[in-house]
Amino acid sequence: MTCRLVDSGACTEMAVDITLLFKASVKTVKTRNKAIGIGFDSTKDEIFKRSRTKSGFTQRAKEVITNITKLKDFLLQHRKDYISAGSLISSDLTRMTDGERDQIDQDAQIFMRTCSEAIKQLRGEVEKQAAPAQIKEHRGSVLDLVETYLKGVCKVYSEQRAIRVKRMVDKKRLSRLTPERSSRPEKTLEVAPTEEKTIIEESSEKSISEVQGSAVSLWEEGRVEDELSPEEIQMFEQENQRLVSEMSSLVDEVRQIEGKVVEISRLQEIFAEKVLQQESEIDNIHQLVVGATENVKEGNEDIREAIKNNAGFRVWILFFLVMCSFSLLFLDWYDS
Amino acid sequence: MAASVREKQTVALRRMLNFNTPPLKNNAAEPVWKVLIYDRFGQDIISPLLSVKELRDMGITLHLLLHSDRDPIPDVPAIYFLMPTEENIDRICQDLRNQLYESYYLNFISAISRSKLEDIASAALAANVVSQVTKVFDQYLNFITLEDEMFILCHQNKELISYHAINRADIQDTDMEAIMDSIVDSLFCFFVTLGAVPIIRCPRGNAAEMVAVKLDKKLRENLRDARNSLFTGDSMSAGQFSFQRPLFVLADRNMDMATPLHHSWTYQALIHDVLDFHLNRVVMEEGSSMEPSPGGARPKKKSKKSYDLTAADKFWQKHKGSPFPEVAESVQEELDSYRAQEDEVKHLKSIMGLEGEDEGAISMLSDNTAKLTSAVSSLPELLEKKRLIDLHTNVATAVLDHIKSRKLDVYFEYEEKLLSKSNLDKSLLDIITDPDAGTPEDKMRLFLIYYITAQQAPSELDLEQYRKALLDAGCDLSPLNYIKQWKAFTKMANPANYGNSGVKPMGLFSRVMNTGSQFVMEGVKNLVLKQHNLPVTRILDNLMEMKSHPETDDYRYFDPKMLRGSESSVPRNKNPFQEAIVFVVGGGNYIEYQNLVDYTKSKPGRKVVYGCSELFNAAQFMKQLSQLGQK
Repeated sequence: MTCRLVDSGACTEMAVDITLLFKASVKTVKTRNKAIGIGFDSTKDEIFKRSRTKSGFTQRAKEVITNITKLKDFLLQHRKDYISAGSLISSDLTRMTDGERDQIDQDAQIFMRTCSEAIKQLRGEVEKQAAPAQIKEHRGSVLDLVETYLKGVCKVYSEQRAIRVKRMVDKKRLSRLTPERSSRPEKTLEVAPTEEKTIIEESSEKSISEVQGSAVSLWEEGRVEDELSPEEIQMFEQENQRLVSEMSSLVDEVRQIEGKVVEISRLQEIFAEKVLQQESEIDNIHQLVVGATENVKEGNEDIREAIKNNAGFRVWILFFLVMCSFSLLFLDWYDS
Repeated sequence: MAASVREKQTVALRRMLNFNTPPLKNNAAEPVWKVLIYDRFGQDIISPLLSVKELRDMGITLHLLLHSDRDPIPDVPAIYFLMPTEENIDRICQDLRNQLYESYYLNFISAISRSKLEDIASAALAANVVSQVTKVFDQYLNFITLEDEMFILCHQNKELISYHAINRADIQDTDMEAIMDSIVDSLFCFFVTLGAVPIIRCPRGNAAEMVAVKLDKKLRENLRDARNSLFTGDSMSAGQFSFQRPLFVLADRNMDMATPLHHSWTYQALIHDVLDFHLNRVVMEEGSSMEPSPGGARPKKKSKKSYDLTAADKFWQKHKGSPFPEVAESVQEELDSYRAQEDEVKHLKSIMGLEGEDEGAISMLSDNTAKLTSAVSSLPELLEKKRLIDLHTNVATAVLDHIKSRKLDVYFEYEEKLLSKSNLDKSLLDIITDPDAGTPEDKMRLFLIYYITAQQAPSELDLEQYRKALLDAGCDLSPLNYIKQWKAFTKMANPANYGNSGVKPMGLFSRVMNTGSQFVMEGVKNLVLKQHNLPVTRILDNLMEMKSHPETDDYRYFDPKMLRGSESSVPRNKNPFQEAIVFVVGGGNYIEYQNLVDYTKSKPGRKVVYGCSELFNAAQFMKQLSQLGQK
């Protein structure tokens, strides 16, 4: 008998737990039965019942669920490290390298694929098994629930990934522009965390080498002089400006493209889902159409036969009539 | 009572479906699957509150009726939700013997008696499954909540507690006792779910008084029993959001017989009156019934379609109390806005097609992908909106057809004039003898309202005239006998005053405006309701505000929390009440509910809950009256 308080947002629990009352009634009935003399040897039977094994289906479904839960726990555990915006300066030991991140991505994907394979397999088995309708429906719904759970966990994973991609893009943007401003031709550009060699880096390296090359040549020319002439300084300045603008435009474009790619992938997911949904309907329609063409063909055949029969029938009638008239003529001639 | 009645009952149901532990908020929790078994009462309680999809989300894989054939599903917990009647108990025992499920959670809608519990115990013992019966609960949910602030007692066996059952001439004391007990049981469950002990007021000398006495006794007993009380002090003070106790007003149908017969003009009441509307579900025949089938062709097969009008349907929630022309306009507006949104989405297609090869189109691309994403994510909403618009279009068209064919607007206007005792421009006889204004039932209703609201009974001559006219129109006159009896019984000095109501036809201008809409309401007057108060509302107002009024002064007063039951009718509490529950014994309808809702809107800070023992529309009420009149 409980009347517990729940959070202030909900109402107090007003349902009455009479399980204890029930157990008391069980005892009463037991004693009553003993008094009357009906005895049940309950203890032995209970032991027998308890060793009844669960059906294979439930066990396997439960296994899939535990696997998915493991994946979810793993993702959540490493979530903080995964999306941490580890700055260049900090030498935090808990920071994940991007190789580890990629590993996590790959593992998670393989895991999810195996789980969905297992679900599909179970579904196929349920279809094949000859079980009463209610059990089939129940199992189908169980698999639906497991699939929804899997989808939820996948969403967690893809959100993490999207955050990671965004952060990388932002990081690149930040780390690009600032060194540009303060760089001198001879100073090498600060190398940002190079998880992925992008076009920018390669092109920037090329242009660095270009700049360096031109700077070296200029240097060679001006080696005689002690200091750079103002024109040369201006020329270097102009080169810098040009490089800066080129870089930033390239960076902008690539950033945008990256963002768009992420969005497009999301859209693709949605579209793929819809297309898959339509697949079954289209299959249906296909079947119906095939059936309809078959029927029409058969109908044509039947009509052809009917026409033939009709024609044949007519021929026979005509023949019969002609024969009858001939026989009449013959009889008439014979008589007279 | 900050949460509405509906929310409270839904929360209780969800908790029950989660094995009686509060459900976690975590969305990505592991699914636990279960099977739900209910009887018809349980089905009626659950169906207005939780849809099948919500049940699925909570892990219910199968939901089955108790008395159907069920296959054993050996490793799944089963949740039972049913009334503790004999046959249900027998079926549970049978299930236990057949060992259909792995574990059993039994939830009884109202309290189960000790002897029945022992029956289940002995069956469980016989089948050696006592360990499988995991939990047994008394849920105290024996009422059906239809709206946020409206509940009815039962739908299945409502003949047992209908107006006819309570007021028939040959009723025995035992029958009456049984009826009162069941009503009080449901009301008790209602207050347990609400979590408050009310102050009860009721009029003297009728069924409402009996109910009040019994309810007071039951509440009192429960409060006294400190060990088992369902209203413990701790939970009350800490969990309550208001410091006041609600007021519980019991009313009897006999006090106001005209309102159930009244033709209504608001959307929800019209649907209930004209179409088949039960437990928030409308069942209609598909296809227009107006076109005659072309000669020789087979008539169009009409299929029945049923629509659910739920709390999630925003249009319904907004417009269920509006007068019908307004609804028609709003449907049109919704349709227009939906079409505009659809066009936007289609427009995107053309933009996408254009910019294929443009190089400088990266910026445009970014806008468009964002637009595309938002369009695609808003597609499901758009589809849902379309479905709702279709639903309401169909329903409103059906209602409009009825209005036009039966000239319900004329009836409404006339009845409003009768109820407000303003001058009548047409004579009653004209309307009754008019052959194409309404069905015989409508005419009978009109005449009964006239009879009820007339200050003095019409003369014999007039009565004969009316009788003849009604018989010509094909009406059944037995309700009239009963109403005569009723009038003699109540013999109220002032017949129920329906207050000032006015009906203004809106005139030509609005009719011109309406012709643009799909609902061509030519010939249907655009009537505007002015605020008026039905008797129930006025009584409630008097009692809540502690105003003194001859009608309500001699109402009895019960306070279950007081130590001594007092017979006085002097209220101890002098402050006006903020919350009230109105319960009509003998049946209620949506017109009263709408009136109370309007009243609540006009007085901010008030909350009123409406309940009735059964919900009937005018046709059903007439049937009961004619049964009573035939005795």
